[in-house]
Amino acid sequence: MVIYMNRIKKLFKYDNVGIWFVLPAFIYMIVFVGYPIIYNFILSFQDVTVKTLRSNVKEFVGFRNYLELFTQDNVLRTSIWNTLVFTVMCLVFQFVIGFALALFFKNRFKSSKMVRGLLMIPWMIPVTITGLIFKFMFGTDVGVINYFLRSLNLISENIDWLTNTTTAMPAVIFANVWIGVPFNMILIATGLTTIPKELYESAAIDGANKFQLFRKITLPLLKPTIESVLILGFIYTFKVYDLIYVMTSGGPVNSTQLLSTYSYKLSFDMFKYSKGAAVANILFIILFFVSLVYLKNVYVEEER
Amino acid sequence: MGIDGNLSKRKNILYCFISIMVLCIMLFPLYWILATSLKTEKEIFQIPPTFWPKELNLKSYMVQLESGDFNMFHSFGNSLIISFGAMIIAVILAVPASYGIAKYNFIGKRAIVLGFLVTQMLPVSVLLTPLFIMFKNMHLYNTFWSTILADATIGIPFSVLILKNYFAAIPKELEEAAYIDGCNKFTAFIRVLIPIAKPGVMVCAIFSFLYAWGDLAYGMTFILDQEKRPITAGIFNFMGQYGTKWSYLTAFAVVTIIPVTLIFIFMQKYIISGMTSGAVKG
Repeated sequence: MVIYMNRIKKLFKYDNVGIWFVLPAFIYMIVFVGYPIIYNFILSFQDVTVKTLRSNVKEFVGFRNYLELFTQDNVLRTSIWNTLVFTVMCLVFQFVIGFALALFFKNRFKSSKMVRGLLMIPWMIPVTITGLIFKFMFGTDVGVINYFLRSLNLISENIDWLTNTTTAMPAVIFANVWIGVPFNMILIATGLTTIPKELYESAAIDGANKFQLFRKITLPLLKPTIESVLILGFIYTFKVYDLIYVMTSGGPVNSTQLLSTYSYKLSFDMFKYSKGAAVANILFIILFFVSLVYLKNVYVEEER
Repeated sequence: MGIDGNLSKRKNILYCFISIMVLCIMLFPLYWILATSLKTEKEIFQIPPTFWPKELNLKSYMVQLESGDFNMFHSFGNSLIISFGAMIIAVILAVPASYGIAKYNFIGKRAIVLGFLVTQMLPVSVLLTPLFIMFKNMHLYNTFWSTILADATIGIPFSVLILKNYFAAIPKELEEAAYIDGCNKFTAFIRVLIPIAKPGVMVCAIFSFLYAWGDLAYGMTFILDQEKRPITAGIFNFMGQYGTKWSYLTAFAVVTIIPVTLIFIFMQKYIISGMTSGAVKG
């Protein structure tokens, strides 16, 4: 009974004036995001190509697009594998480098604030430009990376990074890590500031060395930050599109084809809109389940 | 390392030195395209490469003023129109929405917040094909509007989630004081709350602008005419046609980065705050 009364009280506490403030943005998002998501699902169960795009009757084919993609199309399997490799490798490198930089900039020295600020620039550059820069730097004859490697005697002949099936993936990963490092660094640095100094002080008095401080204090207290940095990093990296499209367009021979680029290729190069939609949905569903983990964390925090 | 982070003089110098080295390595790619854009085409292909142009060559920039195959400054203007458009839509819609979420309880609020969180994680590929077909049917395909409307969908959820925290932090008493002074809910929001949340509004405006400025997929897919395309799509097109004309390409890159750099220099504190609060809190 008491619970019931509380519920009624809670209902009266609702102030529906609030909804009028939210409604315009909400409707906008329904029209330009919500509806397209549903439309994309419908599209993936139809057979829409450039021929049938304008006609009103669209053939419903059920799961045929998905079945064909999984059974007959080797490129889909390659793309899923590539997307995983790309994401995991990027995460590992950008996280480790970002973490190291965050720890380094925790020291307050003269240039620390300024340099840390300037290090954010790679994250802000339009990704198209980042792609262009690295395409230039990874160039076979014109590229400065080959020049450096040759000067250090690490290679004797120029590597054709972006046109060779084995080296294209490492090259795009390198470029994406360059974008991701600042993002990881700043989030971990923010997390580090939340750890009370007193903890380090008292542990140091008890004779803990630097390694122990890191393992017993920094890592456990940073766990929530590390979790959200990794999950967010996964989400952002898993859907990377522009960078690959500019640097390799998924080539050579699909060696850097990701789910995002493959979906684009199917829809806008081959005009198989339904197949493209199906691939986009596969990407979306994988991301959705990863997002659930993240959302659970954020939601718990919001409720507090 | 001192535990409180303060260092001896010697270590201070050493750390400064290391940090500058890190900075040089990380920002080398940017220096490299700036230097390249000022070289002649011949010097770019020279081995060993020169790390500063022997003679300054501004031709790559000047050629663009006389309209060539791809007029960079025209595309730059298109990008400005698209990015400002997306920014205005995002701010106008997100500011009231975040206030409503922060200050009122209404039915379905949790679901709406969740919806904004999910859209932030959406891959662009999911929206591209359906929006393409939608814009074709709405006769918005191949106009600025298509890209503006699509770009705003990136800025809105980000802005709502950031600003909600700013509004939530404003004490209730301020609002109540405004009511006593004769404001109603809407005038209190406009005259009292928005001015207080101004730093948050700035963060949202900056990020909405930057998201739109950096977009390639929407601009490339929804706008067909080179004349109307934003600079990112224009550059991509140019790369396909003249893939090795690196003097021009690097000049385009430098011009595209200019607004980003200016925003960064003058509004650094907003950017850092946007990155940290937006990403960690979602």
